[in-house]
Amino acid sequence: MSARPVSSFSKTYGHLWFVLPGFAFFLAVMIFPLLFATGLSMTNWSGLGNDVSFIGLANYVEILTHWPFYRAAMHNAFIFLAILVFQHTVGLYLAVLLNEKPRFMQFYRTVLFLPVIMSLVATGFVWTLMLSPNIGLINPMLEKIGLGFLAQQWLSNPTWALIMIIMVTAWNSMGWAIIIYLAGLQNVPEELRQAAEMDGANSRQVFWRVVFPQLSPAFTALTVLTFIGTFRTFDVVYVLTGPLGAPNFATDVLGTLIYRTAFGGSSFSSADIRFAFGVAMALLTMVIMAVICWGLIRILRKREIES
Amino acid sequence: MSEITQNLPQDTSRGPKRRQSDLSVLAGRSVRTAILVIATLWVLVPLFFMVIASFKSVADFFINPFGLPDEWLWSNYTRAWDEANLRLTLPNTIIVTFCAVLGSSLLSAMVAYGLSRKEKKYALPLYTLFVSGLLVPVHAIILPLFIVLKAIGLFGTLLALIVPYIAMGLPLGVLVLTPLAASLPKELMQAARMDGASEWQVFRRIVLPLLKPGLLSVAILNGVWMWNEFFIPLILAFKPEVQTMPVGIVSFIGSYSTEWGLVFASVLVSTLPVVVAYLLMTRQFQSGLTAGAVKG
Repeated sequence: MSARPVSSFSKTYGHLWFVLPGFAFFLAVMIFPLLFATGLSMTNWSGLGNDVSFIGLANYVEILTHWPFYRAAMHNAFIFLAILVFQHTVGLYLAVLLNEKPRFMQFYRTVLFLPVIMSLVATGFVWTLMLSPNIGLINPMLEKIGLGFLAQQWLSNPTWALIMIIMVTAWNSMGWAIIIYLAGLQNVPEELRQAAEMDGANSRQVFWRVVFPQLSPAFTALTVLTFIGTFRTFDVVYVLTGPLGAPNFATDVLGTLIYRTAFGGSSFSSADIRFAFGVAMALLTMVIMAVICWGLIRILRKREIES
Repeated sequence: MSEITQNLPQDTSRGPKRRQSDLSVLAGRSVRTAILVIATLWVLVPLFFMVIASFKSVADFFINPFGLPDEWLWSNYTRAWDEANLRLTLPNTIIVTFCAVLGSSLLSAMVAYGLSRKEKKYALPLYTLFVSGLLVPVHAIILPLFIVLKAIGLFGTLLALIVPYIAMGLPLGVLVLTPLAASLPKELMQAARMDGASEWQVFRRIVLPLLKPGLLSVAILNGVWMWNEFFIPLILAFKPEVQTMPVGIVSFIGSYSTEWGLVFASVLVSTLPVVVAYLLMTRQFQSGLTAGAVKG
């Protein structure tokens, strides 16, 4: 077979044939719905019927004074901060312990990462079994060891419910912190550590002055990952406290609020569903998250270079 | 005697300040081990109780909260198969995950090859466009997607999940594979072209095999979330015939809220395949997931 003459057009753009099928999927599922969503968010469509009219940015203006939106965003922010602190303290410490190559290190590592590959729905049910007022195991356990006074209605007390959501999220995501920090720790050159020890630094000084600065790429990655994960949280809340963010919206997050507004929660009548308003909230959340994410990455990368 | 030999290397390497007695070293080590054990128990104890719970009768949950069940009810599993619709949702989950992983891996490898020549003007903008898909939350696009799928008649079939999953798997795939494809030796492909191979043959015979390690990472990354995904099928799969397991279980609990044994049996069935795959390929899972997450 002789080589075909190759036109200059196909030489420049020939490779685009390989991009085309993927791009078609991407266009149909991501780009087009996103544009469609932007258009929809400027209408008053409820999701049912043909009653649609263009109302411009009115939905977005309304969100600014829609206090459930702020309440939900506050809960997301609270979960984010708590998980952030948890990952950079407990997660980091466990990674440091594992980096000292204790006996059974492989076992610890495998087990501690296990929840990451489990679905959030499964995670939610595992903890339902521990915390539920009917079948929960934590309360009977506390009673058995004489700490019955600590027993709580874990998921129906407004304060405890949010703390439990945080605890379950921490359970599910701790593996990320351990694996990411462990990879970072293994990249710290041994000579650097030894040199510092030679100079008489104690182990605490070696860690904070020498090792920790080397971990800043891991710090950045984990912070951004935690931000995205916690602001998108939905499954755990849905399973543990339901689409209404019970009790009394104390665990309502942006995910459940948007879901409820656009599709209706169990106890909402169809009259309360406002599809277009839900879409507007989803889009506004996306834009704000993208901006914060971008800012976070810029600040943290700058810090990486300085240190 | 043993004291001397143990302390000697410490004294020379860490300086005189750090002379610790064996006792405090031992205490420090025990505390560290204790912390690791506590963390491990925190993960394992709830999982252990869930396995036990999946064999319990409803009465057992109340009479005997943390003991072993009076009678190990394997029937929870057979009943879950029918009543919790696992016979529909388990095959669905396998089919959807398999097709979507295959589709998104192949398509992202093609895109990666197409964009791997950085000198082309279109390469960088298209790469950025694909990768920025990572920022788009499902929340924002699920609602219009629902309308589109309904309009083109895919709603109510498994394709209503497969098609979106393929597209949503692309950003990560392109992100991981494009740098790999760009780093492949150009001479190899040039030589094949000289021998009269078409571009497709070059891709199929040379590029695809060389991308294998990257493709495995992409398959794991996408496979895990597709298998576990809850929100998308919650909106796009409204009946058991097209649902995947996580949604199937949640809608089952909605209708039979006291059949806890069946719920935990279903949760276990839905989790076990991923856990087995993870235990068989622990290293690939950890490195693959981390690489994707860190880059993402």
